[in-house]
Amino acid sequence: MRLAKRSMLLLVLGCVSLWAGAQTIAIGGIHPLTGGLAADGIQMDNAIQMAIDEINEAGGVLGGTPLSFLSADSTGSAEVGQTEAERLINEGANAIICCFQSSVTTNVATIAEREEVPLVIDVAVMDAILDQGFTYTFRLQPNATAMGVNGANYLKELAEASGEAVDSVVVLFEGTSGFGDSVREAFVAEASELGIVVLDEIGYEPFAVTDLTTEMTKINALRPDVLVVTGYYNDGLLAARNAEDVLLDVKAVFGVAQGTYDQAQFVADAGDLAECFLDSNYHHDASNADALAVLARYESVYGEPMRTSAVFSYQAVYVIADAIERAGSADPPAIRDALAETNFDDFLLPHPGPIVFDETGENVNARPVLMQVQNGSIVQVWPPELAEADPLFPCVSWNR
Amino acid sequence: MTLLGRIPRDYLILIGLVLALLTLPSFLNQFQLSIAILILYWALLGAAWNLMGGYAGQFSFGHAAFYGIGAYTSTMLLTELGLSPWLGMLAGAGLAALFGIAMGYLTFRYGLKGPYFALATFAFAELLRLISSELKFINTSIGIHLPLTGGDSWQRLQFEDNPQNYFYAITILFFVGYLIKISLVHSKLGYYLQAIREDEDAAAALGVNLMRYKVTAVAISGGLTAIGGSFFAQYFFFISPELVFGVPISIDILLGPIIGGTGTIWGPLVGALFVTPLGELTRAFIRTPPGFLSFIEGRSGLDVMLFGAILIVVILFMPNGLVGLGKQLWARVKR
Amino acid sequence: MKRSILKPTHRNWLILALIILVAIVILALRWEQTVFWLSRYGIVLRQATVTGLLIGGVYGLVAMGLTLIFGVLGIINFAHGSLMTVGMYLTFVLFTRYGVDPYLSVLITVPVLFGIGLVVQRFIIHPARNAPEHNQLLLTLGLALFIQNFLLVLFTATPRSIRLAYGRGETPIGPFMIDFPLRIWGTTITLPKLAAFVFALALAGGLYLLLQRTDLGKAIRAVAQDRDGAALVGIDTQRINMITFGLGTACVGAAAALVLPFFFVDPLAGDTFNITAFVTVVLGGMGSIPGAMLGGLIIGLTQELGVVLAPSSIKLLGVFIVFILVLLFRPQGLLGVKS
Repeated sequence: MRLAKRSMLLLVLGCVSLWAGAQTIAIGGIHPLTGGLAADGIQMDNAIQMAIDEINEAGGVLGGTPLSFLSADSTGSAEVGQTEAERLINEGANAIICCFQSSVTTNVATIAEREEVPLVIDVAVMDAILDQGFTYTFRLQPNATAMGVNGANYLKELAEASGEAVDSVVVLFEGTSGFGDSVREAFVAEASELGIVVLDEIGYEPFAVTDLTTEMTKINALRPDVLVVTGYYNDGLLAARNAEDVLLDVKAVFGVAQGTYDQAQFVADAGDLAECFLDSNYHHDASNADALAVLARYESVYGEPMRTSAVFSYQAVYVIADAIERAGSADPPAIRDALAETNFDDFLLPHPGPIVFDETGENVNARPVLMQVQNGSIVQVWPPELAEADPLFPCVSWNR
Repeated sequence: MTLLGRIPRDYLILIGLVLALLTLPSFLNQFQLSIAILILYWALLGAAWNLMGGYAGQFSFGHAAFYGIGAYTSTMLLTELGLSPWLGMLAGAGLAALFGIAMGYLTFRYGLKGPYFALATFAFAELLRLISSELKFINTSIGIHLPLTGGDSWQRLQFEDNPQNYFYAITILFFVGYLIKISLVHSKLGYYLQAIREDEDAAAALGVNLMRYKVTAVAISGGLTAIGGSFFAQYFFFISPELVFGVPISIDILLGPIIGGTGTIWGPLVGALFVTPLGELTRAFIRTPPGFLSFIEGRSGLDVMLFGAILIVVILFMPNGLVGLGKQLWARVKR
Repeated sequence: MKRSILKPTHRNWLILALIILVAIVILALRWEQTVFWLSRYGIVLRQATVTGLLIGGVYGLVAMGLTLIFGVLGIINFAHGSLMTVGMYLTFVLFTRYGVDPYLSVLITVPVLFGIGLVVQRFIIHPARNAPEHNQLLLTLGLALFIQNFLLVLFTATPRSIRLAYGRGETPIGPFMIDFPLRIWGTTITLPKLAAFVFALALAGGLYLLLQRTDLGKAIRAVAQDRDGAALVGIDTQRINMITFGLGTACVGAAAALVLPFFFVDPLAGDTFNITAFVTVVLGGMGSIPGAMLGGLIIGLTQELGVVLAPSSIKLLGVFIVFILVLLFRPQGLLGVKS
């Protein structure tokens, strides 16, 4: 009798899961699709759609369930990000990918925790997001500390390998939106540790800066060995042009999590000037054929080069799909448990090991890679195991 | 009846409204509730702005200054001293009021009016944003995360398990804010302010102390705005100079009262009821447009375009705000 | 009650003079350090001055449009920067699609933006002429949102920039061959910035002459001074309103084409210039055309000198401090008339 009851229950459960199998599993995405950061946000949104389409073409997950995409625009504000997160969960999102901005992420993570829906952060750099003891939140991208610490070490190693001394640097950083400042802080701390003197830290306002010639002249007067830059695309482009204008007398311009010098668009916009610029940043693995195929697909569909941020959103979909397969269920807490056990080998990122999350949700193998513009393309130059070419150092395009 | 008759009608409306609001959490789902929270929050901020911009006629384009002071004061007191945000809120309101007195004294002493005053308030807010981006003890532009303590606590104003408590909290603040606003409007100060707005010189000639009343209006308006800032910090768990002192805050604060109707008691609430869901609605419209418009689906930017267009249309056709329009229609119906 | 001997304005100037005096004394007392600092950073000071003036010319041009509109229509136009972005995209499309040189495209952007200005005034600003002042402000805000996101839909958010084929190395300027960028006393002057500065000043001069010498200009000034009086003597004030708004936006049409060679364009690019333009307009005196240009130069200088004087600080900070000081001590602006 009891056995019969139990098998009835199993039957019902089986039917329910079959019925659910006809449904889709929804992945929510929250990114800034309007406002000052829309260039990245729109690409990240596209990339999620692209990954979901690919998975569905290949037969979906759990033996045939298609994924669906619930897209949301945070508009770059915490208020909207929050209501959108709640809307997505209300509409049945089984997992969420977000946010690009640290300011929006914290709040969405709190909601994910409360509603017990797993959240995979594709991009959001601030360390403190995961200091809150969240159990439902996981981050793919290296955090600010990883960016700054690795950046400083790459610089040091690069100098040692080339036999050129790098004793002093000046840091030029965007100083109002939080991103540049948090990377600067981590970089300066590690650089001092490594015995590199930081002569000055020059901040600028990224959304109001019209020219950096005076800053570049000041940097010339300070005579550092290397100029370290951290900020967004537009200001990075200005910095590059103005550095050339004053014939900046440094051994290299070295970006740390800089949004310009590792973008294909930089080469298109700046031409020969772009040569030799270095950037230690989160990135796709350019020595990985699969990653290059994804980039090519993106460009053929959306007509512009794929940004790194979008690669991380794309990757996040696959990490979630993997977790769903292992969970054997689309139940959000089950996906969370599977995410916590993630050991994802088939990744597109330049990390030394598989995607594995520690107990705070940080991707333990996340780290940046050093890239350089060489002969019109972006190549990985450091660390040596990921290098596609030898780094050119010292080198600036206006002194060649 | 006689007793009730003596109490201005607005108090009764407020009490009825708050009682009705308290029943809302049983009807609404979490998404709807969070929009309701935002509406009350913007209504509170709008009411604060309205005291200065609407009643006293001193148009502020920099209310982010007060808002940010509130957010940072309560947050610093919480993270450094463990002080309850309720007390932090009061401290923030006090500081913001002091800042308002200083700013008001300076600007009014030199006779700034109209667009000059508006730009001065804008400059003060921007100044605070840039300075706070440099201050080490508030973690520069990186911002501060509020520590999550887990669980629910009224004392710490943090509700992880039962977010509807945030709704009750903002309802309390809304009630207090409107209570202050209504009593002010019906006080001598309120009449003086309106006299100043209508004709400053005439008011001065009648012996109204312009400086004193204008500065008082700025201080009270600033204090109430700071409370909204503290609530933001507690509700969103993260503040940074760009978030709380930024220009978008100053703009968002004044949207509600102007759309709803400046210089009216309920204008800011009506405006918030209109503006807050409008963004949601335009986004939903672009996400799932009607069949014949399917080509616009998901085009980012179209929603904000639509928002801007609606804003223009509303202002063109309702120069006195929604409350003004309502009064006009009511007058026509009565005739 | 005993009155102070000094009038308030005199007292303000005295305070200002005192501050400057104290600064000089401090510098003199620390003479050796000052000399050392100058020997090391003198070049930065010179570059800051040069850059400040060059970029200030563009700020001035943008601010002239704003101040003209304010002077006649009495509104602060928050859509000014977004209209500039329209001009920047126009320049960009003309350059990449049709190979039109950005400096030549001024001939196209100015009339197009003038036309847009006419339309905006007629259909958005004019209907609200009797509404409270703040309604017009919000209208321009709504318009700015609309334009920014219209451009976002049209061009996406990806920033675009252009590269001139000339401007580095030997460049023919009239009969002379000049080696750009110019290096004068250690400072760097690039061709796009020099060109922007020169054209901005020329256009400012042209606009000034237009206002001073032509009948149209006289009519505009008459309306700015006394709307009712102007209407009485037979001036069509609404026509003047439209034309003024058109002229104001034409200014950003020109500025847009001039900055693109050394800047970039994305849907928010023009707003970068609008923040400083507000400050500039107040500094110069709202409604004063020469004041706007002077204000632009001063703001440019303040912003750049801030880089030198305030170590590791954000340069906008100095601009706002100057702004508040001006508001307090000389609210009518440097060249404005006291109302």
